[in-house]
Amino acid sequence: MTATVRYRVIHETAYDYSEEVTSSHQLAHLSPRITPWQKVISSHVTITPEPSESSQGIDYFGNDLVRAFVEIPHDRLTVLAESVVEISSNALRPEALSPSWELAAQPTDGLGDKGNDIEQYRLASPMIPRLAGCARYARESFRTGRPWLEAAFELTKRIHNEFTYDPTATDLNTPVAKVLATRTGVCQDYANFMISCLRSLNMPARYVSGYILNRAAPGAEKLAGADASHAWVLAYCPDLGWVAFDPTNGKLADLEFITLGWGREYTDVTPLRGVVLGAAQQTMSIAVEVEPIAC
Amino acid sequence: MGDRFDELLAGPRLPRPHWSRIYEKLASVSRAEIDERQAAAERQIRDSGVTYNVYADPNGIERPWELDVLPFVISPEDWRVIEAGISQRAKLLNLILGDLYGDQELIRTGEIPATLIHGQSGFLRPAHQTRPAGGVHLHLYAADLARSPDGRWWVMADRTQAPSGAGYALENRLIVSRIFPTLFRDLRVQHLARFFATLRDSLMYHAPTGDGPTLTVLLTPGPYNETYFEHTLLARYLGFPLVEGGDLTVRGGRVWLKTLGGLRRVHAILRRQDDVWCDPLELRTDSALGVAGLTDCARRGTVLLANSLGSGLLESGALLGFLPRLCKQLLGEPLKLPSIATWWCGESAALHDALNNVDHVVFKSADPADWFDPIFGQDLDGIKLKELKRRLHAHPERFVAHEMVRFSQAPILGRTPQQPITARGIGLRVFAVASPTGYVLMPGGLTRVASNNDVRIMAMQRGGGSKDTWVLSDGPVDTGFTLLRSTVSVTELQRSSQSTPSRIAENLYWFGRFQERCDDEARLLREAMDQGLREDDDETLAIRPVLALASAYGIIDSKMPIEAELIAAAIDESKPCSLPANLRTLERLAHTLRDRVSLDNLRTINSLLRSPLLGRRTPTLAAVVGWLNQTVTNLTTLSGFAIDGMTRDSGWRFLSIGRRLERLIFQCLSLRIALDSGPDSGLTWLLRLSDSIVTYHSRYMSRPEWLPVLDLLMQDITNPRSIAFQSNGICGYLKLIESTYGNYGSERFAAAAEALSGTKPSDLNPESDNLRARLISLHDEALKLNDHLSQCYFSHVRSSSFLEQVY
Repeated sequence: MTATVRYRVIHETAYDYSEEVTSSHQLAHLSPRITPWQKVISSHVTITPEPSESSQGIDYFGNDLVRAFVEIPHDRLTVLAESVVEISSNALRPEALSPSWELAAQPTDGLGDKGNDIEQYRLASPMIPRLAGCARYARESFRTGRPWLEAAFELTKRIHNEFTYDPTATDLNTPVAKVLATRTGVCQDYANFMISCLRSLNMPARYVSGYILNRAAPGAEKLAGADASHAWVLAYCPDLGWVAFDPTNGKLADLEFITLGWGREYTDVTPLRGVVLGAAQQTMSIAVEVEPIAC
Repeated sequence: MGDRFDELLAGPRLPRPHWSRIYEKLASVSRAEIDERQAAAERQIRDSGVTYNVYADPNGIERPWELDVLPFVISPEDWRVIEAGISQRAKLLNLILGDLYGDQELIRTGEIPATLIHGQSGFLRPAHQTRPAGGVHLHLYAADLARSPDGRWWVMADRTQAPSGAGYALENRLIVSRIFPTLFRDLRVQHLARFFATLRDSLMYHAPTGDGPTLTVLLTPGPYNETYFEHTLLARYLGFPLVEGGDLTVRGGRVWLKTLGGLRRVHAILRRQDDVWCDPLELRTDSALGVAGLTDCARRGTVLLANSLGSGLLESGALLGFLPRLCKQLLGEPLKLPSIATWWCGESAALHDALNNVDHVVFKSADPADWFDPIFGQDLDGIKLKELKRRLHAHPERFVAHEMVRFSQAPILGRTPQQPITARGIGLRVFAVASPTGYVLMPGGLTRVASNNDVRIMAMQRGGGSKDTWVLSDGPVDTGFTLLRSTVSVTELQRSSQSTPSRIAENLYWFGRFQERCDDEARLLREAMDQGLREDDDETLAIRPVLALASAYGIIDSKMPIEAELIAAAIDESKPCSLPANLRTLERLAHTLRDRVSLDNLRTINSLLRSPLLGRRTPTLAAVVGWLNQTVTNLTTLSGFAIDGMTRDSGWRFLSIGRRLERLIFQCLSLRIALDSGPDSGLTWLLRLSDSIVTYHSRYMSRPEWLPVLDLLMQDITNPRSIAFQSNGICGYLKLIESTYGNYGSERFAAAAEALSGTKPSDLNPESDNLRARLISLHDEALKLNDHLSQCYFSHVRSSSFLEQVY
């Protein structure tokens, strides 16, 4: 495995409206985030028709954000995000040493900037509650005194094994309690469930929005969510810091994961949201392409 | 007495000095006189339409405001304590907001627990790093106070988001000061006007500038909000246009008001809209009430929001326990006015304390968005206590525990002759505004009276009453200016047509159309029923065109039994397009126009809809006709309000266009039916329907004939029922509107109207194809004019829809 890889990501969203839209406010979380393991070589968001104004900003969680306002009347709006990123291996081996998980469930001492950031991910958020059922599910892996990484990795694999990937079973608003009951869903449900498990035991966990490389080698199992937006989990443990788990694929997230941004849950990092004036109905299409390129 | 502080009495029959004048007064007047004064107050409340909407109230959404005419009196000494305490507290809370939405030093150093803030749904992350001008997040602040048995004042709750009550306090003052004018003057009660002027001027002072004169608007969630009356009152009193989210739009990083004259820059928004509903783009995405992009404008500082977004965060009782330490740290002085003892259960020591005192505490939600009924520890039996403990241990951070407060008691008027005066628990809501030189208090406030049902609860939502609050002065009273007009006028004049929101214009237009539609419908049904009742051979044939017209107008189905159809059209509200259904629409429109048209309008419509006849299954025809007569009379009264009571600005013109267009369309239809029915049907019905029979008889002294009838109903510009009269008026109003807002092409309508009025006398008969064609043409153009108006003036009122990406 090479130490670094480079990808080009093209993410195009198109809206077709039933009537002419005369005003459209858009908010996009479509620019990859700079992280210790991810360099952003280039990143552009192009909106058609051309916005009369657009601005870049950084949201509360530190993600890049584009705001745009389109006032040219249109019945089709496209948002094209093109990025080139370079990812270096941040791979932690699942066998690596870590402190017992109870330490991760303790509030941060002497808060400071870092603690202030960590603490918010310990709490329930509107879409991801703390549930007694999730705590019970998690405790099967988080047995007393067990090293955090070992337990978290096992949880990741259990979710992957025991859940059924089914795009027809859930939608964006499916509550975690239902996912717990049915054990089906898509990457977002897997991530929400794992986050709820961790938070229910008072451990911090983030929701990560991004992409995963479709690398279906001959004979190999194809990664679910390939060539589409993907969601996974960053979980925190003192000593190790934030570690990325992908419950959908039952593994630690590494070189093939491209991070757009993170927050407490999906609504904090929705790739694209907008308010338009004039149209009663819309249809949307999305195309995502992740391509390895030469460094 | 004993376990409560008595505001009035220091001992048996011994009034406190600042109450003595009122005490004497009460002793000297008869019960009858007091009752009379209370009745006068209630009459005034009804007449000026002071209401408080209660969603769950089965008696409809509007309930009259409850006011006890005996004022609550505060001594100058007490007031000095409150004033110093509240202005310090407002300053402190403002600094805390600035920190939490800025550097968060207080969280990083552990002064405020991180989980307390991050777990609050009122903490709005998109509002982080908003740095309002002058560092003012909290422009208008209110605190709920109570007095303990030892006479000290305590803060029970902070209102930091969009405090309500200042307007009701003002209204109470207007009423009570008139009921006790001598007492009011002699006791040197401090006036309220200066406070509102300070609010208005301070908002203007802190607001950004540019794009024309400073415009401040009052943002309301709409007529169904429980304090909507107050929004209309404050908007009027402060001179701010009252707007809903749909009236505002964000362009170029700024906020604009959609007016008839185009977009006008908005510099400051006094909002009564809750935080999370303000912006569907960045806050609650399912908000239909908000303004997309507002959060970003606030962040950029292109608009002032009072209060700033996210300020509701401090309404959580969880913070109260931390204030004494924060005050020392941020202001370097002790907290002057204590909060009632409060424990945030998210801290385990606090939870322990609360459970140890369970009989003396009230458990409440730590998150205002997650509200539940307060749980009084003393009410719980063993099982319920166990259940509460289970909830507390599962989610301790969701609870706060308050020490139970024994409210002080003040005199109120009793409801029985045996008990002319009784004592009842009271609480006081006081208000402060951020002026350029610091926080300034309203010298007074809203005194709330505990409800009959549970004296421990004080909430207008729960049926409590209110009182005027008299702060006595030991210095001169500031009687300065008042923003107030001397009385509530019959019809509210528009301040300036430049800021008439398009939504208002559209509603006025439809208000006009529906007034006329109801009038036409009532007259038509009356005519049809009269025909049925009349055994006059001469006119039996006349019933046919009348029914044909009713059918063409869409109010009856001519294939069904006629009498039942007519009665249903007249009194069955569940039938679409029936008269009561249209009256209901009219009522709804009048409701949305409450800051534009007088309450008399609403009352006039209401009295029709309240008729017991409407619920009856088999009314007599005569009774229905009687009700139709009443309807015609009331609708004439409505048009009288418009003619006699409104200024002739663009809003009025839209209302008038609506009326005339509807009448023109109806008249075109009536004439077409008459022409098609041929000469046998007679024309008397047409003249009666058009309210022109008296004129006709006085002019012609003969049976109706085509030529004079058509002349009178089509071409006579002196007849307010003629087509020419309507089209003349419409063209005139359109010219005036166009001169202000630009040409939009009403020529086709004008040409069709001219063609009809130019019809030669030789063509004024049923055989003329020329006449019929011109009538049809005008009818069509009138319908097109309606669409055209909508496109030109109302189209940008359409509400926005929200779309979110799915993956």
